[in-house]
Amino acid sequence: MIHLVAAEGLKLRTTRLLLGMIPAAVAISLAGVAGTVLVHGGGDRAVLESAKGVRQVLSATGAGAILVLVVGIIISAGEYRYGTADDTFLTTPRRHQVLAAKLAVGSGLGLAVGVVTSLASIGIAAVLYSTEGATFPLDDAEVWLTLAGTLVYTALFAMLGVALGSLVRNQVLAVTGALAWFAVVEHALVNLAPDIGRWLPAAAGQAIIRTPLDGLLSPLAGTALLATYAVAIALSGIRVAATRDA
Amino acid sequence: MIEVRALTKTYGGQRAVNELSFTAPAGKVTGFLGPNGAGKTTTFRCLLGLVAPTSGAALIDGCAYRDLASPRHHVGAVLESTGFHPARTGRNHLRVIARAAGFDAPRIDPLLELVGLQSASDRRVGGYSLGMRQRLAIAAAMLGDPEVLVLDEPANGLDPEGVSWIRRLMRIWADEGRTVVVSSHLLAEVAQAVDRVVIIRDGTLVTEADIADLTADRVTVRVDRTDAMLDALQAAGADHELLADGAISIAARDTAEIGGIAARAGVTVTELSRRGTAETLEAMYLAVTEAGGQ
Ligand SMILES: Nc1ncnc2c1ncn2[C@@H]1O[C@H](COP(=O)(O)OP(=O)(O)OP(=O)(O)O)[C@@H](O)[C@H]1O
Ligand SMILES: [Mg+2]
Repeated sequence: MIHLVAAEGLKLRTTRLLLGMIPAAVAISLAGVAGTVLVHGGGDRAVLESAKGVRQVLSATGAGAILVLVVGIIISAGEYRYGTADDTFLTTPRRHQVLAAKLAVGSGLGLAVGVVTSLASIGIAAVLYSTEGATFPLDDAEVWLTLAGTLVYTALFAMLGVALGSLVRNQVLAVTGALAWFAVVEHALVNLAPDIGRWLPAAAGQAIIRTPLDGLLSPLAGTALLATYAVAIALSGIRVAATRDA
Repeated sequence: MIEVRALTKTYGGQRAVNELSFTAPAGKVTGFLGPNGAGKTTTFRCLLGLVAPTSGAALIDGCAYRDLASPRHHVGAVLESTGFHPARTGRNHLRVIARAAGFDAPRIDPLLELVGLQSASDRRVGGYSLGMRQRLAIAAAMLGDPEVLVLDEPANGLDPEGVSWIRRLMRIWADEGRTVVVSSHLLAEVAQAVDRVVIIRDGTLVTEADIADLTADRVTVRVDRTDAMLDALQAAGADHELLADGAISIAARDTAEIGGIAARAGVTVTELSRRGTAETLEAMYLAVTEAGGQ
């Protein structure tokens, strides 16, 4: 199993995928954090320094996770796009092992991106707070809980992408479907049926990064729920891989 | 050894492979021949566990592919559909496979040299020609120094030098005791290299034979009254066979003797010749492909 994970890591490092996507994910997160400080704070120290203000600002760190999800999709569905799935399954005919290795690499990548964006967004936030005349409360537990949430969130989004790409093998379809879901579909569903909204994946994610919105699950429940989505999709993906021809 | 047993694969009600059985023994190059769409690739994909057979089995040394302890070490495959990530270099393509297969010290440089890609090995595969990709696929197949080689139209995209190179390689592998199966829709491409042929059409077996059995010296005769000639040959105790093109093929007789039999039977000979191995095989394959085209 270790060598399969190593091989999946090598696959990622030997294409140019991360070169574009990871800096873009970090940039989106930082832009989100900076934008929230400037817009949300509106020059009001008290708002910025409140627990809600800090959460609002730091939860914007999660904005880049959508690109990590796209990377996850490409890790799986890309094998069909480029026809490398044959070689992969010739090496590892027990296909669930391939998906397990991809999930491991995806979650590792998500964690790494989460760490980088979290540290960078603290830096950005601290600088912008001081230009706004406020003090960023580094010693506040809110800060660290929110950032811990970001790590979990980014890792789970990567796994969600890997799982989705194994289920929907058409990479373009999987990426557009996922983007449409998170940008449009879930919001529409929430408006139609507010009661179920909190149980949907994007809302579960918002709970993990402690976005100050009403009606969200607790961060732990959100984590469990989003993980359940990822596992359920991955299991369907395993079924598909085992029964459908490559 | 490869054993295909009553293999059937159905796509949407249509049988791509139909109750196909044949064996490819170790130490021989087995040519797997059939016109386009005959089911060669489908058979190979079933054999390699990439496609689930509808019924029947395809076994490698008695095992289904997915049950092999170390598949890359046991079997090397070149498939027509195999793709490459365009941004990955040739060397990295091989490194990925070696890593996944758990090969600790893969001999990547000697392999790249063997397939003639050493100077291109650090370039992205996206910039490779068709022939270079084919060479990379051959290198990938050989990474694990496998006992069994399954080659689906390996000459695709290779130049004439490359085609004769792959023929020599197959010869060497078989002489080392490996099992080599090579598919082609062109007989000429593999005729000189194979020890055995399996010919299929519409997913069904047409002929399975060792070349040695197929083409011991034979005389071919064409006459005006074929039935009378067949009776005369029967009476003379000659081992004979009516070919699909209407000629009669007779085992190990010299032409004068066959002419004599014809004369005594009162039939007129319109053509009388010795057919070598290549010609017999060619006539046989031509008959198959022509029938398939009707
Ligand atoms: N995935 C698939 N879905 C539907 N039909 C298929 C599929 N793969 C193959 N077929 C059909 O099965 C038959 C056999 O195809 P196959 O590719 O095995 O032939 P082949 O002998 O390899 O031909 P060629 O010499 O052209 O490579 C064809 O009629 C083809 O259309
Ligand atoms: Mg084919």
